[in-house]
Amino acid sequence: MTIIYLVVFGFFATAVLGLVTSWIDRKVTARVQYRVGPPFLQPFIDIVKLLGKETVIPAGASREVFLSAPLLGLAGVIAVSTILWVNQFFAEGFAGDWIVIIYLLTVPSLSLIIAGFASGNPLASLGSSREMKLVIAYELPFILAMLVPVIGAHSIRIGGILEAQTTGIFAGSISGILAIIVAILCVQAKLAFVPFDIPEAETEIVEGPLVEYSGPALAVFRLMKNMLLFVLPFFLIILFFGGMRLNGINLLWTVLEYVGIVAVITVIRNTNPRVRIDQAVRFFWGPMTLIAAVAVILALNGL
Amino acid sequence: MNLNLIIDALKNPNGFFVATPLSTLCAVFATMFFIFTVIYSLKHMQGRTGLWRYYIYLLATFIATLGIFFSTTFIVLLVLWGFLGLLLYLLIAFGRREGTPEAARKALVIVGGTDVLMLLGIILIWKLTAGSSGLSGLLFMRIDSAAGIPLSGTLSIVAYLSLASAAFAKAGAMPFHTWVPDTAENAPIPVTAYLPASLDKLLGIYFLARITLDVFQMTSYMNTILMALGSITIIAAVMMALVQHDMKRLLGYHAVSQVGYMVLGLGTGNPVGIAGALFHMFNHSIYKSCLFLSGGVAERKAGTSDLSKMGGLVKSIPLVFVTFLIASLAISGVPPMNGFASKWLIYQGVINSGGPLWVLWLIIAMFGSALTLASFMKLIHTVFLGQPSEGVKKVLSEKKKRVEFSTVIPIMVLSILCIGLGVFACKIPFAECFRPEVRGQLDLPGIWQSGLATLMIMTGLVIGYLIYLAGTIKKARTVAPFVGGETLEKNPEMRVSGVNFYKTVKDIGILKVIYRLADKKLFDLYEVSMKIVAGFGLVFSFMHNGLLSRYILWCLIGLVVICIVLI
Repeated sequence: MTIIYLVVFGFFATAVLGLVTSWIDRKVTARVQYRVGPPFLQPFIDIVKLLGKETVIPAGASREVFLSAPLLGLAGVIAVSTILWVNQFFAEGFAGDWIVIIYLLTVPSLSLIIAGFASGNPLASLGSSREMKLVIAYELPFILAMLVPVIGAHSIRIGGILEAQTTGIFAGSISGILAIIVAILCVQAKLAFVPFDIPEAETEIVEGPLVEYSGPALAVFRLMKNMLLFVLPFFLIILFFGGMRLNGINLLWTVLEYVGIVAVITVIRNTNPRVRIDQAVRFFWGPMTLIAAVAVILALNGL
Repeated sequence: MNLNLIIDALKNPNGFFVATPLSTLCAVFATMFFIFTVIYSLKHMQGRTGLWRYYIYLLATFIATLGIFFSTTFIVLLVLWGFLGLLLYLLIAFGRREGTPEAARKALVIVGGTDVLMLLGIILIWKLTAGSSGLSGLLFMRIDSAAGIPLSGTLSIVAYLSLASAAFAKAGAMPFHTWVPDTAENAPIPVTAYLPASLDKLLGIYFLARITLDVFQMTSYMNTILMALGSITIIAAVMMALVQHDMKRLLGYHAVSQVGYMVLGLGTGNPVGIAGALFHMFNHSIYKSCLFLSGGVAERKAGTSDLSKMGGLVKSIPLVFVTFLIASLAISGVPPMNGFASKWLIYQGVINSGGPLWVLWLIIAMFGSALTLASFMKLIHTVFLGQPSEGVKKVLSEKKKRVEFSTVIPIMVLSILCIGLGVFACKIPFAECFRPEVRGQLDLPGIWQSGLATLMIMTGLVIGYLIYLAGTIKKARTVAPFVGGETLEKNPEMRVSGVNFYKTVKDIGILKVIYRLADKKLFDLYEVSMKIVAGFGLVFSFMHNGLLSRYILWCLIGLVVICIVLI
């Protein structure tokens, strides 16, 4: 039973914090573009508004798959957020949960891909194929970068990684810095933000996999994306910055780290054009993998 | 009364056939696959000629497999192994494609050729143990009497490699894997699901486990070689699978790729990895045969297994789609399916294996898993979810025939097993079965809490559904899809078939070169050997070209040589 309470708590906390982060992102983007930007409650109002809209299912789509794909993605994000919150506050977790999180983090992209396929729309199929190629592109450097804290802590448990950082955070070492750079770019691709929003290129394929979605289904997808916007920097903070420390001056450090990561993501988002899918694949399998491999080799040698 | 005799005979540790826990488990799985194959063949192979031979071959394969699992002497194992190679050839020959004779020949040559290597390995072991002398010693040499041979001298290394190559060829690991995709493409679906997908893996990996754990003492050098071969198999096979046009061939390449995980796990040398490899062997046989059987139903419905001509089959066979989806999630290792549980164990094993290169193997294994996921997403779209092709549209417009009971039962049970083995992975007493095989303690560094993860995912699904209920999901209406104002029916060329999804990957610099070479079959050991043999033939045909003058020339040369030597 406690698990269910933890899941519900994890869901609400992540949802609220995710929506707040989305507001920060939109406000900063607006300011950069000399606009005013949305009010604070805008992301919440967006979700509630979508819940009241009509659900429209395209002909030729498989109805059950179309409607259950968002649920799959949301379940994956909720599972990841639960594991992270449990590790943060109870220092227990379970064995090998780093592997579990890496695998569960592919589930939201997976659900987006299935959603695109189930829409019976060629634009959606193309968008999903781009998402798939993007996923196999960034998975390689992402796993390499996430391996650096594991090597440093000699443990595959998130709890072990947190404990190993009580003496010194991994972001202080050279390998950690390289790994963080690679990780932030991979997170950019995971969140499908510019310059990697190839699957949902508005001007090219009209929102890609989500083209036929509206109403509560779209609300669930938006909620999933906003939760992912919180979960991924949280994961990075746990792996590289020693988790959220909420005592005294460390609270300020935690907030600064979190806002810093989100700010970097937003700045990259606002200052770059979109790349093509083959450029993205070459980018991730070329320079990014090289830097991440260098970071891993440095970590193996103790730096 | 007879059953008791058999069971007592199996328990007698000095008999010819002995039941160890691992053997019993393998035999149970083999029985299950035999039953499923027979049930599935009832409908699938209807109307072919010579079916009585087909069922006899199936039965003979089953009995030979049981014999191999329970045998204690090398020679019995070798004989049954060869028997299986012959039966494989005969069963593949039931296929009705144009590539069938070639594929059957290839399978026979590769599996039979490595049979010879296995004989060489057995003779070398006999020489090394130097126990019983004479031919009777060789005939009755027991597997457990040849225990703990150290891999130090050349002889023992050659013996191990020869035996391992026989196991690799049977299971389909590199470099002897090339018969598996050809067989998958050309043999009938029940044969493919029975032999290369399930039984051969069980046999090959069982034999590899026996020689790695019982007969020889592994050194870290040999472990590294095993892990390297496993990793290369994983990544090369899945990259080949990404660009295939034929559904069955694609599934065959994935079968090869998953064997890489098993070899990798066996090469880690520590109990966790080995248990993971054995668990993966069982899981793989379950989800692979489910994939092949479901794909077979799709092929029958669409009339072809060419990917560019399929699509949109989800409306006509929704149940098959669900089983295919579950098996695809299992092979990609998505929690909480069984594929993830065994891959988790293998990763733990690789991390604990020590040595400088564990990072490389882990990266290759995890990346291979991501590529597997991508490949199966493409397959799901192209076969089931995408827009239907012309041929499929005709099928869909016909009156919907329900898929027969006999076809549905095997795939449903297999997919339920996928989920069940995954969710209850921590409660299955696999440790009890693996413990005698796995030297040392099998204390896992913590158990993969599959029940916990499933509970989390279920709760997440419920939360999502509650959000749906808060909205207007009940009153959904259907409209035409939006393609920028055009209509899909009037523009059939707007159909995205999914075959070219990974053309981007294929066109990247160095990969383009590798794919082109692979298309020319440069990496296929069988084809390369065929060319070498053909080359010899060319030389000989030059010497014996059928004209009298050439033969008189050879006679003269021979006479001159004899004169020089004798005078």
